[in-house]
Amino acid sequence: MGEKRSTGFYILTAIFIAFLVFLYGPVITIGILSFQGPTGGLTFPMQGTSLHWFQELFRTQMVGDIWGSFQRSIILGLTVMVITVIFSVGAGMAYRKKFFGSTPLFYLIIASLVIPSILVSLGVGLIFSQLGWEVHWSTSGLGAQLTWTLPFGILIMFAVFNRFDKAYEEAGRDLGAGPVQVFRLIVLPIIAPSLIGVALFGFTLSYDEFARTLLTSGSRNTLPLEIFGMTTNVTTPVIYALGTLTTLFSLLIILFFLTFFVLSQRRRNKKGSDAGKGLV
Amino acid sequence: MKANSKSKISRRSLLKSGVAATTAAAAGTLGAPMIWAQSNIVLRQSGTGVSAFNEIAAKAKEDLGITMEMTALDSDSVAQKVATQPKSFDIADIEYWMCKKVWPIGNMQAMDTSKIKNYDKIVGIFKDGKLTPTSTIAQGTAPHTVSFVDGANGKSFSSEETGWMTMIPTIYNADTLGIRPDLINRPINTWAELLNPEFKGKASILDISSIGIMDMAMVCEAMGEIQYGDKGNMTKEEIDKTIGIFTEAKKAGQFRAFWKTFDESVNLMASGEVVIQSMWSPAITAVRSKGIPCVYQPLKEGYRSWGGGLGIAAHLSGKELDAAYEYINWYLSGWVGGFLMRQGYYSAAVETSKEYMSADEWGYWFEGKAAKGDIVNPQGVKMESAGAVRDGGSFYDRMGSVACWNAVMEENQYMVRKWNEFIAS
Amino acid sequence: MAVLQRNISSLLLASPVILVLSAFIIVPIILITAVSFWGATEFSIYPAFLFDNYEFLFTSEVTYRVFFRTLYFAFLVWLITLVIGFTVAYYLAFFVHSLTWQIICFLLCTIPFWTSNIIRMISWIPFLGRNGLANQSLIEMGIVNEPVEWLLYSEFSVCLAFVHLYTLFMVVPIFNTMMRIDKSLIEAARDAGASSTQILVNVIIPLCKPGIMIGSIFVVALVMGDFITVRFMSGSQIANMGRLISNDISLLQYPSACATAVVLLATVVIMISIMLRFVDIRKEL
Repeated sequence: MGEKRSTGFYILTAIFIAFLVFLYGPVITIGILSFQGPTGGLTFPMQGTSLHWFQELFRTQMVGDIWGSFQRSIILGLTVMVITVIFSVGAGMAYRKKFFGSTPLFYLIIASLVIPSILVSLGVGLIFSQLGWEVHWSTSGLGAQLTWTLPFGILIMFAVFNRFDKAYEEAGRDLGAGPVQVFRLIVLPIIAPSLIGVALFGFTLSYDEFARTLLTSGSRNTLPLEIFGMTTNVTTPVIYALGTLTTLFSLLIILFFLTFFVLSQRRRNKKGSDAGKGLV
Repeated sequence: MKANSKSKISRRSLLKSGVAATTAAAAGTLGAPMIWAQSNIVLRQSGTGVSAFNEIAAKAKEDLGITMEMTALDSDSVAQKVATQPKSFDIADIEYWMCKKVWPIGNMQAMDTSKIKNYDKIVGIFKDGKLTPTSTIAQGTAPHTVSFVDGANGKSFSSEETGWMTMIPTIYNADTLGIRPDLINRPINTWAELLNPEFKGKASILDISSIGIMDMAMVCEAMGEIQYGDKGNMTKEEIDKTIGIFTEAKKAGQFRAFWKTFDESVNLMASGEVVIQSMWSPAITAVRSKGIPCVYQPLKEGYRSWGGGLGIAAHLSGKELDAAYEYINWYLSGWVGGFLMRQGYYSAAVETSKEYMSADEWGYWFEGKAAKGDIVNPQGVKMESAGAVRDGGSFYDRMGSVACWNAVMEENQYMVRKWNEFIAS
Repeated sequence: MAVLQRNISSLLLASPVILVLSAFIIVPIILITAVSFWGATEFSIYPAFLFDNYEFLFTSEVTYRVFFRTLYFAFLVWLITLVIGFTVAYYLAFFVHSLTWQIICFLLCTIPFWTSNIIRMISWIPFLGRNGLANQSLIEMGIVNEPVEWLLYSEFSVCLAFVHLYTLFMVVPIFNTMMRIDKSLIEAARDAGASSTQILVNVIIPLCKPGIMIGSIFVVALVMGDFITVRFMSGSQIANMGRLISNDISLLQYPSACATAVVLLATVVIMISIMLRFVDIRKEL
């Protein structure tokens, strides 16, 4: 932060803030409309202001089950997150050396990333129906979502291990640590901050996934599907209230993580290691 | 959790003995008597938001002890689920045109009408197609044409009552165009107005092919552009011509948007994006309850009608099958009918709902009489004040002037491809 | 022996990924390709080896129009997200110096994505609509007298939503490569008398190429495969390949959906493999 701040800095800051405002545009609209009066709808004009829809959110809706599907989405999101982190680290470790089939697998990972989401949904749905299996969000849904989050996780791990200084490991090995110990005591702590990134990505992508779960979720909907289903009847600003609460809740979580991160960063700085820096 | 629900049951058991007796009686004919509340029966009902109400599930739990899990998706997704994921549902809550498509796949089982207590009270539309003995049958996929199959394992539809139904009818209505009278300021009386250049950029039609094509046909016929042999079973030329007229209108910017889910139609109308569009009755109510004027305009050419029912998944058997019958019997026994009637739909066994509605409600919704007091929706929100009359009038006025039913035609595959092109053009 | 052991341990580490992707990517693609040759009746599909689906696809003029519309959106969105994404990444990498602040900025960018996309999509209507926030503000500011119609249900709104959804996918990889640039290189250029613009054009942009490529792959793949954004934001008025597929699926025309899918997949794969020629992702990340 030592440099003198140029005009460029201010222009770019303004652009960044404009970008943030743009990102938050819908969230702001949602925020305003969630305070719609009891007779108001999903669009302007506002019919007075009230907290009605926030209270309504905790009652049974006319159609749909927000909390049930929310719960499923959270469970699915966390499952996807954990699996993504573990599998990505595994693949990342594997790719540190060239191995038989590594190139085809790499192209498969890229393919998985670029295949249009609806095809995955269609394909997985077809397989389950041809085999006579029952589609369920925790089986076919989970699989379909992993095809999306795994490539992201793996690419991030590539980036991490590309910059990984092998000297740390060698030092550990020289001191007589076994592979497991090296991984647990040296590699893991260094890559930990990036794993938070992978986890965040995994959760966000899963929580908001629509197309991949559309044909693979079975008889119970995840939250995005449930909201979509609710729009087949009169939807009320309740979904906006949900949106507003989600945003506030996420802000809180992030604040929590940030405090945690800043504290651990401080502790690490005290110890004088800068490993893992720049690996967001 | 378990203990809790049990104590509730024992507390209620006295009150419920009446219900339990009927349940047992009904179940008795099927095998051992049972009390659903203790067997933890869970049935999954897949349907659209039109009728997948949580209140129905709650009431079913209370009256029958059956836990209903309602999943709502848009019509196409539901049809798809029924067609491709046979185990993902126990009860399918679908429309008759969908039934025509998905029944032959074999994921549903025929229902024995002798187990349906109120079978006699189901209106004629679903049995021989006639509302009254003298009425003519409208074009399109009229429900009675796909209501019956020739036996328990029958695959082909039968035109007569056979004792085996594909679905037990529950809900139906007559649809027309919805308009914003405050933004149009003149009378509208024909379907042709949908393509009137006056409403350029302010019209909308729904993007569900089997329903949309019928709206289109109503418009083209009203404009005098096409004389259909049978709107419900168009020839390829008729399909080309119909879609051609609408494609031209689309390119000229007639439409603001197409809607696919109920809610989109409400938002389009309430926000003033659209002033005239195909619409469903409760959507009109939803716009109106926001204080925005909106009329379900009766048109001289008549209504486009639809009907829906409950079908049972092929994989159901034993206790669950019995419970499904029990649920469907309960569905027709009046309470649900009253609930649906208050949304502006009609119940299949329409007489049974009368005792679950106030005289004023019955007068307003069914008889088309002026309301004597406030009319409230099932959630208790006031919708109409005293003196209001339902758009289109009485049940017989509305269902009596049905011009066509939502349809799946012989050339459906061709129509679907053309429809896809229309949306893409 | 050691080579074999190394191979085995790597394969073991990668095996969960191999399993998941085989089951949920390879097998579905094979099936989709197979089904694209199947026949369909009104209500069911039956195994066959027919070219009907492709024939209908390639003989319909609409297919070509939709195909080019899809490419057009991909190009337009790519261009816009690239410009915005690069600028934002540039700012975050070179003007925000503390890691903590960079993380905060990224998290701030992520939060809007935790409100379900469906809800956000619905909320564009009251924002961009005839009586929406945008039009009201424009009228109040005296910029226009009448509500602007093309803000919603138009190509504009579709692009806007795409940019909103996918810019971040451009920002992250570009930021990532920027962070790898050796700061002493920039110092050296500056010492040699290069202006900021020269540094940007001659040093930073060339070094960011891998990040730009990776971001571009994300954006192009995402836009090409999308269907729900186009449907919502155009009020079903505009179609892309994804919508053709989803329409077919919803009307139970699986073989025809699969045929379109195969064409779409082939296009995306060709485009991406061309892009991959320019950059070795594995090394450059």
